[in-house]
Amino acid sequence: MVIPTLLVMAVVVGYPIVYTLLLSVQDYNLLDFSPAENIGLENYARLFNDPIFWTSLYNTFIYSFGSVAISATLGLILALLCENLHGQHFRLTRSLLLMPWAVPFVVVAFLFRYMYMQNGGVINALLLGMGVISEPVPWLNSATLAMPAVMAANIWAMTPFFFLLLSAALSAIPNEVIEAARVDRARTWSMVAHIKLPFLRNPLLISSLLMLISTFNDFAKIWAMTQGGPGYSTSTLVIYVYRLAFETFEFGYASALGVIWLLLLLVFAVAYLRALRMG
Amino acid sequence: MPAQSTSRSGAGWNLTARTAQLLAIGFALVWSLAPIYWMVSTSFKNELEATRLRPTAWPEAPTLDNYIGLSGQSLPFFDFFLNTVISCLATAVVSVLIATPAAYALSRARFKLRGTVSYAILIFRMLPMVVLLAPLYLLLLNFQLLDSAFGLIVGFTTFGLPFAVWMMKSFIDAVPIEVEEAARVDGYPRWQVLMRVVVPLIVPGLLTTGTFVFMEAWNNLIYPLTFITTLDKQTLPAALVLTFTGQFKTDWGGMMAAATVTTLPLMIAFFAVQRSMVRGLTSGAVAGA
Repeated sequence: MVIPTLLVMAVVVGYPIVYTLLLSVQDYNLLDFSPAENIGLENYARLFNDPIFWTSLYNTFIYSFGSVAISATLGLILALLCENLHGQHFRLTRSLLLMPWAVPFVVVAFLFRYMYMQNGGVINALLLGMGVISEPVPWLNSATLAMPAVMAANIWAMTPFFFLLLSAALSAIPNEVIEAARVDRARTWSMVAHIKLPFLRNPLLISSLLMLISTFNDFAKIWAMTQGGPGYSTSTLVIYVYRLAFETFEFGYASALGVIWLLLLLVFAVAYLRALRMG
Repeated sequence: MPAQSTSRSGAGWNLTARTAQLLAIGFALVWSLAPIYWMVSTSFKNELEATRLRPTAWPEAPTLDNYIGLSGQSLPFFDFFLNTVISCLATAVVSVLIATPAAYALSRARFKLRGTVSYAILIFRMLPMVVLLAPLYLLLLNFQLLDSAFGLIVGFTTFGLPFAVWMMKSFIDAVPIEVEEAARVDGYPRWQVLMRVVVPLIVPGLLTTGTFVFMEAWNNLIYPLTFITTLDKQTLPAALVLTFTGQFKTDWGGMMAAATVTTLPLMIAFFAVQRSMVRGLTSGAVAGA
């Protein structure tokens, strides 16, 4: 029964991967009418000396791990805060807190872009009104602020997922465990740290993995907000590969970049699976 | 009721803690909902009011013009909407249909490469979409599937399928094997055991997985942007990006109306299955990979 899926996957996933490997050693350019030639590892050598590649790699890590770490922490705090709400109150609060998750990425991007506007944006208007800043801040047009600003939008959209998963995990902790700790007069803090957190370890790992994958692939939010700019300050690997492949049509070079990224992810995946199995 | 009161902590401390808790939840609610409110309220503002230097919290002169503008103008918004719904729905259905038997086999059957296959699927899932972009593009180009809904569904499925298998497997793992044994003793073939015994038990899982795949396809911008070249065939998210540079350049009211329309189907899908999603995540993903 596993055969149909494997066949479909071999065609739609396996074939492109092999194709990527083949492309990565060619000077394949769609705009170039001379036939693609095998150039060995030249693409890889070029990659190694490409500062934009390194910047994009760095940005990808900051963007993914930063957003996931902050969202997971916020989601955990929220789940703990809402834990002792019950019945209708809890269901209503949960539904409302989950809403950002159902907002499409592109909409998140445009919405935040609108709110971040330097003149007439609601964020600057609020901060000016409260006296936190004295002049409008050019959030998305500043090389230093653009990344945190984009991350904030991502965190807003991602936190509900952690909240949902961790709430579910909290409610799955066996009652006896909590009762036993209560009989031992565990204080709220030590209850959280010693009883609840260990139960949340695997759910946390799994949900962070899911969200890390989703942020690695996050093209929509960054593209619709900054297109990777200003300069390359918010350019992640996805953005860079997209630019290479579909603005200059350097498929060969873009594929080499993809292969390197793939190898990095494999290392990450193995480390991750280890951590999960130890749990 | 909150039963956190240990005998040592006084009532005063409890009250403070309770107030702090409610304040924090209130703050979280404002943080989560304010941007959504802002989107909806802006969609009822006229062009001038939407970009005013001192924004108004409530539309001063509420107008439906932004929504009317969407339906009647040069851009085929209804087509965009339909394209997105059809391609995302098809992706979700196809992914779940193919994934369920595979997930069942991975969960139950004992064959040699079972562990390897499971991990391979998980690692497929980790593949950055963009790595597949150039080869998928050339693949669709060779089969003349570029610029077609079918090609788009193939692209979405590439990404949705491994995830669906992985998720469905964790749901099926949670079904006790004893449930199936009775049916198997009666001599039903595997296929029928799956359809008649297991599938009815994992309906929340099917819905959850389908919704996840649907949402992911709906959020996917890079595939429609590269695989679809005719504007009429474009999906909503890509259309928003493509037209924003033109029609909506300064028209944030119109933009937010379009954004609201793009959000609604996802919101509805999400709340329709929210219950089973919570149940599904509790029994499946949380219980362990």
